Amino acid sequence: MAGQTISMRDLKALQGLAPRERMSGGYDERCAADLAIVGEGRDLSREDRAWLARVVTGAVRPNRDKPLWDLAHALAALARLRGCRDGRDLITLALDPGLARADAIEARLSAVSAEAGAATDGRGLVLRDGGEGWRTTWSGLARLLALAEFVLTSEDLGHFATISGWFDELVTGPDPDAAAFLAKRLARHLAAYRNAHLPLAPLERRFRAILGFLDGRRSFVDDDILDFWRNEMATGERPGFRTVAEHFVTFEAASGLLGGLESLAAASSLDAAEGWEERLDASLADLAASEPAEALAALLSDLPDGPKILTGAERDDLADFLRLEPFHRTRPLTALRAASFGRVQSGIANRLRRGGGGADVAQRASCAEAESYAALRERAGSLATHLARMLKIAAALRIADRDELPVEARAALEAAEADLRRVRRAGFEDRARLAAGFAAVDATLVRLAEETGRLEQALATLARQRPLEPAFAADLEIFARAFATAYAGEAAA
Amino acid sequence: MSDEGRMLAEIHAARGLMRVSAPARTVGHSALWAHATREPGEPVDFSVVRALRTDLDTAQRYRTMLGAQALAYAPVAAAASDGAIARRRIGAFELEILPADGDAPPLLVLRGTEAKTPRMIEAWLGDEMVRLDLGAPADGTILLALDPAVPDALELGRMLRDPACAVFLL
Repeated sequence: MAGQTISMRDLKALQGLAPRERMSGGYDERCAADLAIVGEGRDLSREDRAWLARVVTGAVRPNRDKPLWDLAHALAALARLRGCRDGRDLITLALDPGLARADAIEARLSAVSAEAGAATDGRGLVLRDGGEGWRTTWSGLARLLALAEFVLTSEDLGHFATISGWFDELVTGPDPDAAAFLAKRLARHLAAYRNAHLPLAPLERRFRAILGFLDGRRSFVDDDILDFWRNEMATGERPGFRTVAEHFVTFEAASGLLGGLESLAAASSLDAAEGWEERLDASLADLAASEPAEALAALLSDLPDGPKILTGAERDDLADFLRLEPFHRTRPLTALRAASFGRVQSGIANRLRRGGGGADVAQRASCAEAESYAALRERAGSLATHLARMLKIAAALRIADRDELPVEARAALEAAEADLRRVRRAGFEDRARLAAGFAAVDATLVRLAEETGRLEQALATLARQRPLEPAFAADLEIFARAFATAYAGEAAA
Repeated sequence: MSDEGRMLAEIHAARGLMRVSAPARTVGHSALWAHATREPGEPVDFSVVRALRTDLDTAQRYRTMLGAQALAYAPVAAAASDGAIARRRIGAFELEILPADGDAPPLLVLRGTEAKTPRMIEAWLGDEMVRLDLGAPADGTILLALDPAVPDALELGRMLRDPACAVFLL
């Protein structure tokens, strides 16, 4: 257990999120660990992970219990197809990482001779019931088995015995009625899980407030985010600016889904529901595709106690800049506000939580310590330069055989070699270890360099449209006033 | 009332959950389950065995899996006055060890009123564990000779006499 606690704490430190902020993300640590263990154990694709996370939080429309209905039917069909003797056989299928992918499932199951009533049809699994029956594709089944593993193993296997008992019952007569009964049990089970581990009500209030604030608009600008945050600060909720900006990231990603929910609930057409599933999937997949904050986390965890490609401070700066993906590219002003004044606000919140330490609240609220946008831009530029330099070094370490290369490429690699000798960082002395360290993080390094480069460009464009010095001065006044009012009580104390 | 706020909250939470990486774990669910459902005498995954001995969390998860598929299990036995025990209840079953008699080895006797009879027994004492095939019952009673020439059988007999020994009938 100790190992787990430490690694969760490390993770939070890495993401720069305090526990309270994580709770305000709508889930607790148990839920985060339950999902991550299944995702990593099965090596799920990001799309499948996003689907599973969606099912667990309930972001499925029109009926959030539909995946459990499908799971129960899939298990009934599997019980027939495989001639399972008891629930144990179903658990073995559900926990088998060899069945985590569609092609593996197809290879294993399509060869099995079909029992009466359950079969494969070339595209997937079928459970016949005299009528149209129930069916899913191989990739659908791969997802459902991941969901099965989640319900079996969540809360540290807290319900493993109960659920395996349900599987035992199903196996005694795996027909559509038994599947429907199991589906109800699983739906109740997951609803209870959500109650215990997904505090969504405060999030829902915040999003309702955003919807009310935008008053039917689906698009917004940087100043809308600022104005909304000021309103919330004035009404006493005092949310972090970064937290609010994160809500707008979600709002933007999901805005294409809004407006049609009621008609969807009323729609009887299955096609309409399936269309929605695809859009929900797509809206999350876009965000989940390859988030730089995650690349950063991966880079750090893959570094073999090794070369200091990034110092702690550089890492924190990068995390700060990239956390609001995709705003660092699309809304650089909001990214700057979050990096400058968001940091000030976190400082105030931390001081209030600790009850002391460092500058007092009034002093912090004045934003005297806020970093100017010009300084932040310069830092983003240095980070981009540093990462580009590290990429060149990575290439030099990787490509030893250079005889066949064009002259320019060879010259560039030699320049990188020379540069490498100038780097004074821990772990850069031992070439073999250095090469291993770089090799472990090559791909993520490329991705981080790319995103930091985009940030740099976005900031340059912003600076042309809205000169940074006056923009910072104007914002400083706004934030300082909002902080002074909102934290007046604590500042006076 | 519109469901939009709720859906945004659910999507937001799902996004956040996507960013979390798993806590470091030595043994995954499937490896643990494979160990829990193995046949006696089958080759075992030594990394699992090691983790069961050294990591409380893994051992706990393993016992949960075992308990879920067991026909009956007992974490401890009521101790007899001399500390060692020859007889214990495990759910609906009664387990007794008859001492060696001349050339005949000690005998494990298992009687039950359940319709199903267990196929295997697994005993845990501290960080030791043993799993043995029980064989087919005769007249509802299972008899297993704890042959001193078979190390696992000898071990099982010794462990079962300790009240702190946990027993799973599978």
